[in-house]
Amino acid sequence: MEARMKQERLYDEDVYTVHPEDYRALCERLAGEGYDFPRAISGIDMGYGLRVTLQLTRMKDLAKVTVRTDVPYDNPVVPSVTDLWPGVEWYEREAYDMLGLRFEGHPDLRRILLEDEWALHPLLKRYDTGGYPVPGWEPKPWPDPEPWAPPPPPEPEEAGEADEGGEAS
Amino acid sequence: MSTMSLEPVPGRSDEMIVNMGPQHPATHGVLRVVLGLEGERITRAVPHIGYLHRNHEKIEEARTYPMVIPYTDRMDYVSGTQNELPFVLAVEDMLGIEVPDRAKKIRTMFFELYRLASHLVWMGTAMLDLGAISPFLYTFWDREIILGIVEKTAGARMLPNYYTFGGVRRDVHPDFFKDVADFLDHMERRMVDYEHLVLESPVVHARTIGVGVLSKERAVARGVSGPVLRASGVAYDVRKAFPYDAYPDVEFEIPTSPDGDTYARFWVRFQEMYQSIRILRQLVELTPKTGPYKGKAPARIKPPAGERYRAVENSRGELGVLVVSDGTDKPYRVKHRGAAFSNLQIVPDLFEGAKFSDAIAILASLDPVFGEIDR
Amino acid sequence: MSQIPIPEDRHFRPRLLGYDPQKSRPWLERTVYSAYVFVFWLIVIGTYAGVPALFGALGWDSGWGFVLMRTLQVVLLFLLSAVIALLLILLLRKYLGKVQERYGPMHYGPAGGIQTVFDALKLLAKEDFVPAAADVLTFRLAPAITFVASFAMFAVIPFASGWVLADTNVGLIYLIAVSTLSAYGVLLGGVSSGNKWALIGALRAGAQMVSYEIPLALVFLTVAVWSGTLSLGGIVDAQLGLWNFLPLALPFVLYVIASLAELKHIPFDFPEAESELIAGYNVEYSGMSFAFFFLAEFVELFLLPALIVVFFFGGWHGPLFGLEPGSLAAGALESLYFTAKTAVWVWIFLWIRATLPRYRDDQLMEFAWKAMIPLALFGLVLAAYLRLIWR
Repeated sequence: MEARMKQERLYDEDVYTVHPEDYRALCERLAGEGYDFPRAISGIDMGYGLRVTLQLTRMKDLAKVTVRTDVPYDNPVVPSVTDLWPGVEWYEREAYDMLGLRFEGHPDLRRILLEDEWALHPLLKRYDTGGYPVPGWEPKPWPDPEPWAPPPPPEPEEAGEADEGGEAS
Repeated sequence: MSTMSLEPVPGRSDEMIVNMGPQHPATHGVLRVVLGLEGERITRAVPHIGYLHRNHEKIEEARTYPMVIPYTDRMDYVSGTQNELPFVLAVEDMLGIEVPDRAKKIRTMFFELYRLASHLVWMGTAMLDLGAISPFLYTFWDREIILGIVEKTAGARMLPNYYTFGGVRRDVHPDFFKDVADFLDHMERRMVDYEHLVLESPVVHARTIGVGVLSKERAVARGVSGPVLRASGVAYDVRKAFPYDAYPDVEFEIPTSPDGDTYARFWVRFQEMYQSIRILRQLVELTPKTGPYKGKAPARIKPPAGERYRAVENSRGELGVLVVSDGTDKPYRVKHRGAAFSNLQIVPDLFEGAKFSDAIAILASLDPVFGEIDR
Repeated sequence: MSQIPIPEDRHFRPRLLGYDPQKSRPWLERTVYSAYVFVFWLIVIGTYAGVPALFGALGWDSGWGFVLMRTLQVVLLFLLSAVIALLLILLLRKYLGKVQERYGPMHYGPAGGIQTVFDALKLLAKEDFVPAAADVLTFRLAPAITFVASFAMFAVIPFASGWVLADTNVGLIYLIAVSTLSAYGVLLGGVSSGNKWALIGALRAGAQMVSYEIPLALVFLTVAVWSGTLSLGGIVDAQLGLWNFLPLALPFVLYVIASLAELKHIPFDFPEAESELIAGYNVEYSGMSFAFFFLAEFVELFLLPALIVVFFFGGWHGPLFGLEPGSLAAGALESLYFTAKTAVWVWIFLWIRATLPRYRDDQLMEFAWKAMIPLALFGLVLAAYLRLIWR
């Protein structure tokens, strides 16, 4: 899992970017670490694929954590975490509704805000605000390095500077 | 939104399936709950939302940053400026805008005024759901004073569009502080009446005590926040946990109740109103009467690429926003975390096994606002 | 921009925001109510003194003439119930307005005085809609049953000494029978509407009826034991020295509570609870069918306080100022006393309606079975004992 995970500190949150196959394992680990309060699940259309952002808080010491994972457009499947945090049930349904993200293992994955028969997932960037296709929209290529690629180890001669930066942040 | 109903259970002819809503008077708007009723007892409950859906998030992607603020107003339409704050805070963080101390205090004053307004609306509508007509009219008169104070400064009553990046849009009206102080005197006198009407009423006791008990663990796992969570005994309040604006400068307490029932939720909201009055009293004294009301913000708001989640404690709980910027003058993605949206998820948990009349009281104690839930 | 008004006291009158109680012209309002009461009084005098006197003078007081006389009296009583409904609906709306710091109806007639007439006209003009899922015959019949059952209670109400349509010696038993019938109308109307909310309302009405009718009947029995008669006129006469509410304090309180339940009045308005069941049993009714439910409700809002007065507050008794008992003037004065006492109780009921929230339906039933029935039985035994040692 560590090989396909990027960890960074953004403002006051720990942000983990993981491969979708490791998403569930990381969530289980975080649940075990006591992150008990689910804030939200947000789906984001990144242009090259769909991103799931799960935000958690630990009530004990108010530590905050964000878990991200990116999935391609043609197979937007993410494991569901409703059994770990029942409070994300409607957020996963909303992400499915708005972006077409499919959460495997969700007990009741239906559209939540739009009608059951609605034809499209409106928050996808390929549609404009009227629901019409944006002319000339093409998916971007998958980024290189991949989103979950860990940062390269610091060069030996710059190691000291990197450490200082780490302390300052 | 879903046209789906409940499937009858084979072999059970004593269960009646009823559509409560979307045009039911006790659903505070357009909630639809499909209920399985066995006599008066609820066997199953499936909530359906989305009847007020406007897809704010898509609209906001097509607007520049300052143009998004009025849209956020339209989410939780009874608590006005409270909705603007998470978005404004997130963008300020991304741009590194400094907010003057006085502007922070003015923002907090509006925030707490709207909390009082929202809780007054809650009290009136909750009592209306319990069958008492008159408190509704009383609370609305008091709310009218708050909206008048807001109107004098911001120019609008319910959807003021008052906060902006770096402070507030314009300076407060010269009478503002005196008006607020006078209103607080009035409000303290009125709270005595409200306690008599609501908290001390034996009928309210009979309807709410021991009804719809939500355990601490269940509440946290379901992502419930705000007064509903605090009524279950968790002292989580974003104002204390992740302080913003002028909250570090004022003294206040987080009222919690260990009971977790409907009465506890009523009680916690009442105590919150007292705390709001307390905060406002301090801020009337602390806020400089003149001074800057807005910090230096760039003429074109173009946050650097990145994302920021900020949350505030609005009248219903943790209202958050995740702003994703791609470096242009329009947000790439705005995701709202609605407190009422999360709180409403416990409807099936609390409804099942309750009596139908209890369901009305429980729903009233959750205080959903559908502008925010359906967005 | 106008100054925001901050009131001095906590009894808040939001005058500067537009509300000014003087704008509702209270004296004009009282004049309107007095006019309604005057019409009411005239009809009562006409029904109980005028019509018999007229037929007596014509010599038509036996055989078919008697039938005609009674028919005319019933028609006048129907008119009376319409006047009662017009007045009480107006009074309710105006009084709720007062409690809630607003005006109530203000536009039609002096100080909104004939608003309810226009409401009635609107209901007359509306389509009387029958839902496809309804059982048409029962659906049509239900409002009639409810109204007739309420209206039939007029037969035994004594407005003054001797001013009663049927001073039968089974008056109390008749009342029990007829007041129970009105719940049948509600039950049938709710069940036949083909609407689930109406069905729940009807079921609640049925459960509520079973619960409160027993203490109500026990209170009737207590009053009968105490007065030694089943006739309502006799009960009133027996209170000449001492009004019943003092010796029968416990049954009196139980009777008021049971009346609230029978009226389907807050805090016991479960069958129609508008914030729970939308409108309960009458949700599918419109036009005149609905008007009859409404009429029945407000006729009962007059009759049940009237019965409180008959049973516990000495009915028509009051100082006669030397008028000869049995004369027209004495009867007119007595009926005015009766109306005034009833008005006080109507006001108390409206006050309860304006201020209290609603109980849960099973709480009423629990209260009825676990508290009211034992207490009513105790009151009955106590009344019998007191009567043995006292009279």
